Amino acid sequence: MPQGTHTLSVPLSIETIWEFVQDMNNWAPLVPGYIEHEILNENESTWAFKGDLGFMKKTVKLKIDIKEWNEPSAVIFDLSGLSDNFKGGGYFKAEKVSDNETLMTGNLDITAGGMMGPMVNQILVKFVPQTATELTEAIVTKLCEDNNVPV
Amino acid sequence: MQNIQWEKEVDVIVLGTGGAALSAAIAAADNGASVLVLEKTHQIGGTTAYSGGVPWVPLNHYMKDQGFSDNREQVIAFIKRLTLGRAEESMIERFVDKGHEIFKFLDEEAQVRFKTPKTYPEYYRNLDEALKDGTRSLDPVPFDLNLIGDWGMHLRQNPIFPPLTLEEGGAIGSIDFTVVAERMQNNIVTMGRSLVGSLFKACLDRGVETLLNIAGKELIMGENGEVIGLIAETSEGEKKYFKANNGVILASGGFEWNKQLTKAFLKMDITHPVSPPGNEGDALMMAMKVGAALDNMSEAWWYPAMVDPTFEYEDNVMAQLGNGRNGPNSIVVNKHGRRFAHEGTTYNDLPRTFFNFDPVNIEFPNEAPVWLIFDQQLKDRELIITMTPGDPAPDWVDQAATLQELAEKVGVNAENLIDEVAKWNGYCEQQEDPDFHRGTIQFENLTGGGGNPEANLGKIEKGPFYALPIYLGALGTNGGPKIDGNGRVINFAGQPIQGLYAAGNASANPLGPIYPSAGGTIGPAMVFGFLAGEHAAKTTLVKSEV
Repeated sequence: MPQGTHTLSVPLSIETIWEFVQDMNNWAPLVPGYIEHEILNENESTWAFKGDLGFMKKTVKLKIDIKEWNEPSAVIFDLSGLSDNFKGGGYFKAEKVSDNETLMTGNLDITAGGMMGPMVNQILVKFVPQTATELTEAIVTKLCEDNNVPV
Repeated sequence: MQNIQWEKEVDVIVLGTGGAALSAAIAAADNGASVLVLEKTHQIGGTTAYSGGVPWVPLNHYMKDQGFSDNREQVIAFIKRLTLGRAEESMIERFVDKGHEIFKFLDEEAQVRFKTPKTYPEYYRNLDEALKDGTRSLDPVPFDLNLIGDWGMHLRQNPIFPPLTLEEGGAIGSIDFTVVAERMQNNIVTMGRSLVGSLFKACLDRGVETLLNIAGKELIMGENGEVIGLIAETSEGEKKYFKANNGVILASGGFEWNKQLTKAFLKMDITHPVSPPGNEGDALMMAMKVGAALDNMSEAWWYPAMVDPTFEYEDNVMAQLGNGRNGPNSIVVNKHGRRFAHEGTTYNDLPRTFFNFDPVNIEFPNEAPVWLIFDQQLKDRELIITMTPGDPAPDWVDQAATLQELAEKVGVNAENLIDEVAKWNGYCEQQEDPDFHRGTIQFENLTGGGGNPEANLGKIEKGPFYALPIYLGALGTNGGPKIDGNGRVINFAGQPIQGLYAAGNASANPLGPIYPSAGGTIGPAMVFGFLAGEHAAKTTLVKSEV
């Protein structure tokens, strides 16, 4: 199962991070290859983005279902392909280190199904951890910029 | 001329890194030349790496080893049957006589190896002159990319074919995606990537130097009219001068990605090239500038391309090979909703019917896009582009409950389409297609024993109905500077331009406007590339003072 987890230390309080993360509109454009998203309700949203698979780019549409909003420490979600046969999930977790330091972790776990599943999963083995890393780093960078603290 | 600061001086410079280029480099190096290969893009492999990597080579020893016989006179008669008088007999004979020798050499001396794909026959097997048993197409054996070290990372990716051999179903047939996954994990490549990998390894073994991200721009001529070097430009725009003591071999691909050139030379615009975007006619422009005669300029290796618009390759929507036009439950219609050709012809032949002109209505009725019309039966049975049986049709595929609705959706004449499908279904009942003779040619049921009514005539009757556009695509152009039997570029006076060679899609196809079977592109490309490399290495030019 292609998956990736990336953790970074952020020089901000866990509350500041939660305030940012709990509104999808804040970080949606930071998803690598982001095209658009639509929030259907508090827990459901649809997304389109262009994934850079290295040798080619693929536009995919997917649906995200938030399973848990655990303020201030975790957002856990499922995802499923609307344009292609894949499903999975992921989370953002925040762990307080001090009043001004938080460990932030992003996780993605995606598995392709259907006839082409074995081949697509070989591609995802590299793509998924790379995306988890890039998204986590992009969120941390944006948080630091918005709060005028060094990355 | 005396003031040129040469970046490097070698005997032979080769432009490009596809099958023609690397064969030329191997031959030149084996004949004692120092060789420099310049590649415009950031990846090696060119059009060949992007392809099935199959050369078509008559009389080859792999066939003999498998117990298939071939015959020189029959091959020549077959090629002439296809060329319709549009190729020089001496070039046909040169290809037939030298090709098998070169592939024997590549096998024994360069470890560039193939198998006869027993399940993949000749495309025109139904013609009297064609080979009936076996095939002249050669299937590259899988190649371990680790054998070329870090260069493996620079081998052009092939998003068209999975890492299976031709015999394993890499081009036609059911794909075992588990094998595909294993090969990807273990860095084992096949088809075009395998061919380039093994050719490139042979180049490395011979000390051939390769530079990436540098394009040939202009030939440097001596006072006697001979080519003495080349001006090249790096991807950063820096000009560099390279001296070639024996010659420059142009093998940097065709011009299908250059709109100015395609508009000038082709019958219609190739809207969907199935090749790497670097093929912009660099070699053609250099050759024209020094007076090369041109040939075959209105031709290309045509392909009826299809598109899954969610895929991009190097910032362009990726044209793909598609599927579904040569089995039951589908037809191809033009914008008027009318069938216009046998849908199951070879990929090179179907697009030739796009150019038909209607002198009464003053139009090209079959101009692309034309439409693949099919029903749920085909959808349930075959992988079409990337649409897999069993999965819901993606939103980029037009579908409708009725043919009327489908025609209106895609802008095709509905009345005609309904009439055409009714006629087709009637032909399916009588198991005969008097309009275009479906079920009669080899290619429409290539790996299943050839076309026959049972395999190829099936009704379009089970909704929902689907429509997919088919575009004018090409695997590459095949017109360019005219060459002689040693790959030398000929001028308008019919004389060789000393020190200038061309091969592959950078030259005019020596066999004219034909695609004899799988590998009809790469076979002549490698053979005349090799001959060019050999001749250049052995040539002592009458040099101007430099």
